[in-house]
Amino acid sequence: MTDLEFKLPDIGEGVTEGEIVEWFVTVGDALQEDDPMVEVMTDKATVSIGAPCEGRVVALRFEVGQVAQVGEVILVLTPSDKAGIDRAKRSSRPSATAVGELHDSLPGAQLFATADRSSRATVSEEPEGAHFAHKPLATPATRALAKEKGVDLRRVPPTGAGGRVTEEDVLAAADADTGQAPADPRDAQGSTSAPDPREERRPIVGIRRKIAERMARAKATAAHFTFVEECDASALVDVRRKYDLEASRQGVRLTYLPFVVRAVTDALARHPALNSAVDETTRELVYKKYYNIGIAVATDAGLVVPVVKEADRRPLLDLASEIERLSSAAREGSLRPEDLRGSTFTITSLGRQSGLLATPILNHPEVGILGVHRIKERPVVRDGQIVVGRVMTLSLSFDHRVVDGHVGAAFAYDVIETLEDPGRIATGFLP
Amino acid sequence: MPEMNLVQAIQSALAVTMRADPDVVVMGEDVGKLGGVFRVTQGLLDQFGTDRVVDTPLSETGILGTAIGMALHGMRPVSEIQFSDFIYPGFDQLVSEASKYRYRTAGEFHVPLVVRTPYGGGIRGGQYHSQSPESLFIHTAGLKVVCPSNPFDAKGLLIASIRDDDPVVFFEPKRVYRAIKMEVPEETYEVPLSEAKVVRPGEQVTCVAWGAMLYEAYAAAEEASDQGVDVEVIDLRTLWPVDLDTIVASVEKTGRFVVVHEAPQTCGFGGELVARVIEKAFLHLQAPPRRVTGFDTPFPLTHEREYLPLAKRILPTLMETARF
Amino acid sequence: MQVIRDDGTLDPNLDPGLSVDQVVALYKAMVRTRVVDDRLERLQRQGRIAFHVGSLGEEAAIVGSAAAVRDQDWIVPCYREVGALLWRGYPLQRYVDHMYGNAGDPIHGRQMPDHTFSKAHRYLSVSAPIGTQIPHAVGLAWAAKKRNLDECVAVFFGDGATSANDFHAAMNFASVFQTPTIFLCRNNGYAISVPTEAQTATRTLAEKAAAYRMPASRVDGNDVLAVWRAVRAAVARATQGGGPTFVELVTYRLGGHSTSDDPRLYRDPDEVDAWTRADPLLRLQKHLHHRGAWHTALEADWRKACSAEMRECVRVAEETPAPALETVFSDVYASRPAHLIEQQARALAAHNPDREGS
Repeated sequence: MTDLEFKLPDIGEGVTEGEIVEWFVTVGDALQEDDPMVEVMTDKATVSIGAPCEGRVVALRFEVGQVAQVGEVILVLTPSDKAGIDRAKRSSRPSATAVGELHDSLPGAQLFATADRSSRATVSEEPEGAHFAHKPLATPATRALAKEKGVDLRRVPPTGAGGRVTEEDVLAAADADTGQAPADPRDAQGSTSAPDPREERRPIVGIRRKIAERMARAKATAAHFTFVEECDASALVDVRRKYDLEASRQGVRLTYLPFVVRAVTDALARHPALNSAVDETTRELVYKKYYNIGIAVATDAGLVVPVVKEADRRPLLDLASEIERLSSAAREGSLRPEDLRGSTFTITSLGRQSGLLATPILNHPEVGILGVHRIKERPVVRDGQIVVGRVMTLSLSFDHRVVDGHVGAAFAYDVIETLEDPGRIATGFLP
Repeated sequence: MPEMNLVQAIQSALAVTMRADPDVVVMGEDVGKLGGVFRVTQGLLDQFGTDRVVDTPLSETGILGTAIGMALHGMRPVSEIQFSDFIYPGFDQLVSEASKYRYRTAGEFHVPLVVRTPYGGGIRGGQYHSQSPESLFIHTAGLKVVCPSNPFDAKGLLIASIRDDDPVVFFEPKRVYRAIKMEVPEETYEVPLSEAKVVRPGEQVTCVAWGAMLYEAYAAAEEASDQGVDVEVIDLRTLWPVDLDTIVASVEKTGRFVVVHEAPQTCGFGGELVARVIEKAFLHLQAPPRRVTGFDTPFPLTHEREYLPLAKRILPTLMETARF
Repeated sequence: MQVIRDDGTLDPNLDPGLSVDQVVALYKAMVRTRVVDDRLERLQRQGRIAFHVGSLGEEAAIVGSAAAVRDQDWIVPCYREVGALLWRGYPLQRYVDHMYGNAGDPIHGRQMPDHTFSKAHRYLSVSAPIGTQIPHAVGLAWAAKKRNLDECVAVFFGDGATSANDFHAAMNFASVFQTPTIFLCRNNGYAISVPTEAQTATRTLAEKAAAYRMPASRVDGNDVLAVWRAVRAAVARATQGGGPTFVELVTYRLGGHSTSDDPRLYRDPDEVDAWTRADPLLRLQKHLHHRGAWHTALEADWRKACSAEMRECVRVAEETPAPALETVFSDVYASRPAHLIEQQARALAAHNPDREGS
């Protein structure tokens, strides 16, 4: 005969134990289903529990006054009806939601019961040949690369910020491990050519990528034409020399560039088409009623173009100090986002190695750019005589889609006339 | 195609849906004669009458509770809660009832209810006219949560929400209610739920935003671009169930993740998205995922522009993430 | 209002005119409800089901109301009204399966026991928060009105619910929009342990309706004919466009709030004894005896039949396996979103590790 072990049920939504208040049965008693067996007092209620089936009591496992845990067997019955036998034969869980298994289902219940628990964790040993950080610093992507390359990060000398192992470090380590150049992960998606050990591949990122995109976009979109002319800078040189010292007393370094900027803004005012931009999406020419002049500056990271805002409204010395501020900020990498926005025309100062002429690429979507060459002493013919002149070459590029050749040329000559006669800047008499 | 702002687009969505389906009714405080405090329901009373455009007593519990009853009968009520800040008296009805009815009746009953509610700051509304409580509803299994950023999406998403057989909380970015205009078809169309949209493709950082903050994220992305950092901006559109695939595909490309929301940071939806990005795209990450959010304070008035994660706060996070 | 006098005769002025057969049917339904209740409570004590919330002593209020509304009318339950659902013909086996949360439970063991519903029987779903169902009943009735359908909605709630936000919102909406709603306030004297006089300062609950300009009546909830009469009058008003009605059914919860409760901790036994003598079954039995339509042998046969029926349902329920784990993840939305598909896969793998490999 299969006996039925009766477990103390959870009789009140989360009760865990109950005190036996009274037994209504003794061993040997015959019971009908639902006959009261026992009274149990829990935290929530005192209840009478009836027999689960017809049968005979075989054992009482608790005395009155003892506390039984929910799920503990408190009484054993020998069932006499078939249903009871079936129930006794079935698993300890007689139905989908029947209670009484609380302790089984709470495996962590002993958490606070034991005072002395020693850690079972063991420290993993360092691998042979580990030279660097026990726990190397690396981004998840770098870790993924290391895993792919079979590189143990703990052996890789870190060169990144804050002692971090970089992807380059991993590739170098993989290279050293195999004695071969690292496979470029980008090959899988892009080029299929085998890596050449005599070549080094560097990703085009950051400013360089930005430059690459902008230049390519300008070249692909605008129809460039370039116009080159000389300018007699003698008077300009004299003026700059004359006021250089005074300017420096005011803390401003007077270069030729502010004069060029002023000559350009004056000329732009007379040739509004050159202070415009092409809106590719709407196919409109946008005439700008303000004059923000971009000044191209070479930095270690690449070319950046900070902007002199409202250049037409600034006095010459103000232009000079703003250009100086922007150039040094560009070189230090401390330009603010607003310093880089909104230019309407760009000037690129070509510096010491400026060559005979240049073909500047437009600062897209602007339609004109002026390249300023270094002033050189050159033989010039003046009043039928060959004399030593101080010559500045200007190389201008325009977007031929919207700037006709003669318009560009007229603009160039206006700039030249102003620069050849700096008195115009002082007086405001435009050519 | 006419130009519409968000208010007009939502109005148009309600009108075309009400014309097509007599079971759609609009109800809420001041939605009838006045046309709603933001005039979103303006003109509907004249077109559809008091049976279908109902000025209710001032009780969010009543508005949402009776709407659930209507929905259980098979109607498709669109309830307006005047400001999402005032949704809490009806919170129990959404969280305990609307969200669970399908589950607790194994689909015998369901609640095709839409709760429209303007949310968010930037309108000088202080702590009770500025809140963004979306995460409370995302946390509730059984609710869908939608938040459009622009008029076209607003109309298409609202129509899809009304036709959806599950309860939808539809957050409307009141800060841009009238600020954004675009061409919106006059006829009916749907923008499918649970589909995010890449609004600015980029290669270096993934930036997720929704509602009014999308514009801030976009502005910050443009500025980052000037500084040589190429940001991909994703408009989430439906917050829950979320279109994780679009986000993960983007992060697999960029390796960098920034999420922007107005709601306070702690337990905000951004935290959930960060967790899911880490779970799904861990090995692609080049930098720690970041959140740019409202502060863990009640919504302030005078300094609301500091509280909101505007472009000026998003940009440095984008740059730091890109250059980590 | 009382129709059945203490001696079992009817007040001739209030007699609703039900036939003997109709009254016997009411009585048998009330007894069946009690037998089912009693058995479920014992099963809970033996740990065979997790919980039960019974209706001991409130059968007249529940069955009488259910009998008074028409087939096309809706019943919105609180949680003690399974007697109303059974009155409408809901299969007892399905109810017992639900009590066991097994594979036969229509909601796959998702809710605690006693959270019933049935669209086919126009019976909304029980939920535990107090009073949240009352606005649903108003919305349901409002929809019927908007759709020009001849339906009204009877909603049950207890005395405690009259303190809840949702109750007042619902009363107000129903009155403002004149919805065909019947508010059935089962005043059984206690909200768990808090007596009605500590719940409200008003003398009756029915008088609250006046604040909403809603007609109200207060009837002896242990008098099934009084209940029937009052509710039928409310149905008539609602269907004639007279709007909502509030009916206070004054009764007594003879048992605990639920199987988790022990009412001896807060109730005077004398009070319980007095109400035990006012048992609605005894009252109706006396009336039927008086009409010569019932006797002891019939009583014993009927109780035995109910008991056997219940015993068989329990046997079947206990042999029915648990619902599939997959059912946890369905019906959250109309279709299963990606995150739930994923969570389901993990749950299945943890539930049955072999399954993952196969």
